[in-house]
Formats: sequence, structure tokens, C-alpha cells
Amino acid sequence: MYKLENMMLKLDAVGRQFGSLWAIRDVSFTVEAGEIVGIIGPNGAGKSTLFNLIAGAVVPTTGVIRFLDRTIDYGKPYRVARRGLARTFQIPKPFKQLSVRENVMLSALRRHHTPRQANSVAMATMEFIRIGELAEASVASLTVGQLKKLELARALAAEPRLLLLDEVMAGLTPPEIKEMMTVIASLPRRGITVVWVEHVMMAIMNVAERIVVIHQGRIIAQGKPADVSKDPAVVGAYLGEKYAYAAR
Amino acid sequence: MIAERFPAVRGVEAIPFSIAPRRGAVSIIEMVVLASCIIAVIAALALSNRYAVDIMIRTFLWAGLALAWNIAGGYAGLISFGHAAFFGIGAYTSTILLLNFGVPPWFGMLAGAPIAACAGALLTQACARLRGPFFILSTLAAGEVIRIAALNWRSLTGGAEGLEIPPVPNLVDMVFRSQWPYVTIVVAYMLAMFALSAWIEQTRYGYYLFATRDDEDGASAIGINPSHTRTAAMALSAAMTAIGGTLFAQYFLYLDPTHVISPDISFQFALICAVGGLGTASGPVFGALIIVPLSELLRGLLSQSTSGLHLVIYGIVVIIVILYFPSGISGAIGRAVSRVSPAGGFAARVQARKYDAQA
Repeated sequence: MYKLENMMLKLDAVGRQFGSLWAIRDVSFTVEAGEIVGIIGPNGAGKSTLFNLIAGAVVPTTGVIRFLDRTIDYGKPYRVARRGLARTFQIPKPFKQLSVRENVMLSALRRHHTPRQANSVAMATMEFIRIGELAEASVASLTVGQLKKLELARALAAEPRLLLLDEVMAGLTPPEIKEMMTVIASLPRRGITVVWVEHVMMAIMNVAERIVVIHQGRIIAQGKPADVSKDPAVVGAYLGEKYAYAAR
Repeated sequence: MIAERFPAVRGVEAIPFSIAPRRGAVSIIEMVVLASCIIAVIAALALSNRYAVDIMIRTFLWAGLALAWNIAGGYAGLISFGHAAFFGIGAYTSTILLLNFGVPPWFGMLAGAPIAACAGALLTQACARLRGPFFILSTLAAGEVIRIAALNWRSLTGGAEGLEIPPVPNLVDMVFRSQWPYVTIVVAYMLAMFALSAWIEQTRYGYYLFATRDDEDGASAIGINPSHTRTAAMALSAAMTAIGGTLFAQYFLYLDPTHVISPDISFQFALICAVGGLGTASGPVFGALIIVPLSELLRGLLSQSTSGLHLVIYGIVVIIVILYFPSGISGAIGRAVSRVSPAGGFAARVQARKYDAQA
């Protein structure tokens, strides 16, 4: 059994029904402190619903979600966030009328009460993600890649215990992907546990320690990246023959 | 009366509600605000006739009221066309307390503010799930409900006949013979609203408002409770509007629901902010300095010769401002300043463009 203090996140038979469709059904897994867990699956598999469930934005129809050994406040994402969960959105949701710096500073404001203190956290975070030069730029002027980095910077500036990353690599150039892989791989050393949805296999297979594969709302495989990529069910549902050969 | 409402409604509908940039040059804009206010006072002093001073009093009162509206409409994105209700609650509370119980309006306005705040909080909670035009229409409806209630609750409000404050000059009752005490009061009110707005822009709570306005999901993902933030903004805005309502009652000494709780008043708040620059502390002041004297002068000069012409000109001016200065006068000044000063906005824009080119 997992030791209690190591338990970051525990999903127990979680399901969510939209109309007659089960977007997520009977999903159970645990995430330990300091892990990087990757979640993969085809489009429409339920990955984003899963994130919305964990973040408290969507109320589960069945099951229990525990974060830091306490059941989360379903439907109250701000309460879950205050307990140390940060997330990025697949479609970036920046505060459009504010500058990049103000966007990042805002999420540091909860822990650092004055804008001045929060600002220094924001500047450090932007340097870490390498968007320091964009600090005073308006959000409207950013490229897709820069918006993705802003999402990550904003999530990190909240100094979370658990970080949910939703396709942070989409729209990035290959050198930027390399850069971002280094950033994500270094997060556990900063005391941040990562749950990460991604379609860029090269990135997630190399950085994540464990992969959970979701298909039609259910977990069809989980384990080490090398094992998962050879699993026939996963190859059939998502990766395709070509990737299986390449992984071999 | 109905025809008079049209330009205001049209103008508000056409407003793209873009927020003026607040970055950089804030202190310069603040200096411009102060300078234009001082010029307005000097101009009225130089003319030294009752009409000019009257326009100035209205201008500063409306500037303060628009600043109060802007806390909800500009900072929190809660475009409200029901603020006349809070304005009316403030005006009626202090007047009823004065006429029935002899409570000085100085205290009466402190009673109206919390009542309006509760009404504002209630309205925001009731409309919690409504966004955009649906929210706007609900606030309009709520304002009308209050107006009709005030019309029919004769024993309390005097109904359509209205309430009259006895014109007996008295410091305690906030009634003066000279206009200058009123100038002092409305200028103080406007400065207080300006200071409050400038302070909100600098605080954590202000940033929470901006975040909730720009993206609700994004805001709750970083631990902000959007419902609380919104309700607090509306309550604060309503309370400040109510104080302005009391000042209005004490200056005009007559209240009736059709004029005090009319949608006209709510539209005027929104229009002043949109013309001056939504979501900035300086915008509503600029807006009031232009809109209020313009509408008063046009009405005074033209309404007798050609009926309705003053409304046409007023409408044209509003359309020009909205077409060519979409982020308001405050936004236009901010851009002009950042163009000439090398620090702040300009440098950041060059930097951003450089990065766009690289990516």
C-alpha cells in the first residue's frame, strides 16, 4: 500500500455522465507525491473531462476524488486551487486585458498578498519558463506557443503541490518542445507533482514515469512508458502500428 | 422624453466595451485628469454665473457617479443598466430619513449606502448564472422594478408627486443658498471616488476583479471565487452610487421616481464610462467632462430654436468618439503618451513585435 503522506491524488471508481454518454467511467488511479504521470488517449477519450473532474470544475456522477488525503470540493474549482492544485487549459485562457506579467502575478497573489511580492514571484517564474522578455507585452500580441508558455507560467506562479498540464506542447516548435521537456522534468525537484495530458508522444514518453491510457472513458492500460507503448490494446486504440515499431 | 432617450441607448449598444490600457503613463493621465478638473473650476469661476457653476456641479457629480458605476461595469465587467435603482435608493433613503425623522443627510447617506449595497449583492446573486446581454437586461429589469415600486409605494415615497426637501439653507440639513458649498461637496465626492478607483487598481482585490472579468474559468483555476468577487464589486459600486444619489437629492431638493430611477440615468453612467474609457480611474472623469457640459450646453443653446437638433449633434459626437477612440479618451491619451515616452508601453510593444518575428 501507498504511505499516506505520499498520496497526492486518488481517484476511486470516478465516472461522469453527460446525457446518455459516459465521458469518464469507472476510472481509478493514484498519483504519488513527486511523480510525473502521463495521460494519453485518442481525441474524445475523456482526458479533458478527467482534468475538469480532478480540478473540481466538473462534479462526478459516481466515485470519489481525494487530493492530499481529503475529498475535494466538487464544483468549487477555486477551493481545490487554494489547496494547492494548479492547471493549464488546453485552449489557453489568459486574462486578455492584462499584460503577461500581470497574468502571472495574479496567480501568485493568493500566496503573496501584496502585488509587489507577487511581482517578484512572477518575474522569477517567467525567467524559468523563458518568457521574461515578454513581461510587459499584451496578451493579444502573443503567438500560440507563447500563450502555452504563459499558461504554464501562470500555473507555476501559484506554487502548487499538484500541477495538471493539458497539452502544453501543442503549437510549440521542436526546440521549444525540448526546452519544455527539461522544465517539466525538473518540476518534481521543486516539490511539484505532475499529471500531464499530451499528444506529443516523443515528449511524454521520455519525461513521464508512468503512463495511463484512456479510451472511450475507461483506463485500458497503465504502466511504464516502454511497456505501455508495446501494449497491443494501446497500439490498436491510439498509437498505431508505426509507433509500436519505432518504440521497439 | 422618450425621444430624448434614444441617442443614449444607441450609443451604449454600439460600444465594443474594450478596456483602455492601464499600463504605463498612469501618473501622466492622472495629472491630465487633475489639470482638466482645475481648468473646469477656473472656467466656471471666470464666467461666474449660476448657469456655468450649475453645469460644473452636475459634471463633477456625474463624474463621481460614473466612477462608482465603473467599479462594477469597468473593473468587474458587470455592465449594469440598473444603477439608477441604487442611485434612487440613496436619494430616497436620506430624503425620507430627513423629512420623516429629521436625520441629517450627512448620516442619511451612510444609511442609504448599505441598503443599496445589499440590493446590489442580491441582484448579482440572483443573476449569478447570466452573462453578457442577459445580465445587462436583468439589471435593466431590476431597475424598472424598483422604479415602479417607488411610484406605487405612496406612503413612503410620495409616489408620482415626489418628495420635496424644504429649501431652508442649513448646514446640518445639507441645504445651501450659495452654489459653492455644493461645488466643494461634489468635488470631494469625485476625488474620493477617483482615489477609491485608483486604489482598487493597485490592490489584490482589484486584480481579482480584472481576472474574473477577463476569464471566469481561468480565475477560479487560480483560487479566485468569481461569485464573491462579483458580488463584492457590485455591492461596493451600488453603495458609492447611493451616496451620489443623496448628493443629487440635496442639490435639486426634489425627487420623483420617473426622473431619479429612470433607465436614462443608468445609460448615462455607462455612456460616460464608455466615452471616457471603461475600466480606468481616469476614463469616467474625462467622459463626464465631455458628455455632461456638451449635453447641457446643446440643450440650452438649441432646444428652443430647432427642437431635437441638440440630440442629433449629441448623438454624432458620441458616435465619433466610439468609432475613433474605441478604448475611450483615456485609452487614446495613454497611447499618445506611450508613443512619445521611450519607457513602458512603447518599449514593450517593440519587444513583443520582435518576438512575433522570431516565432
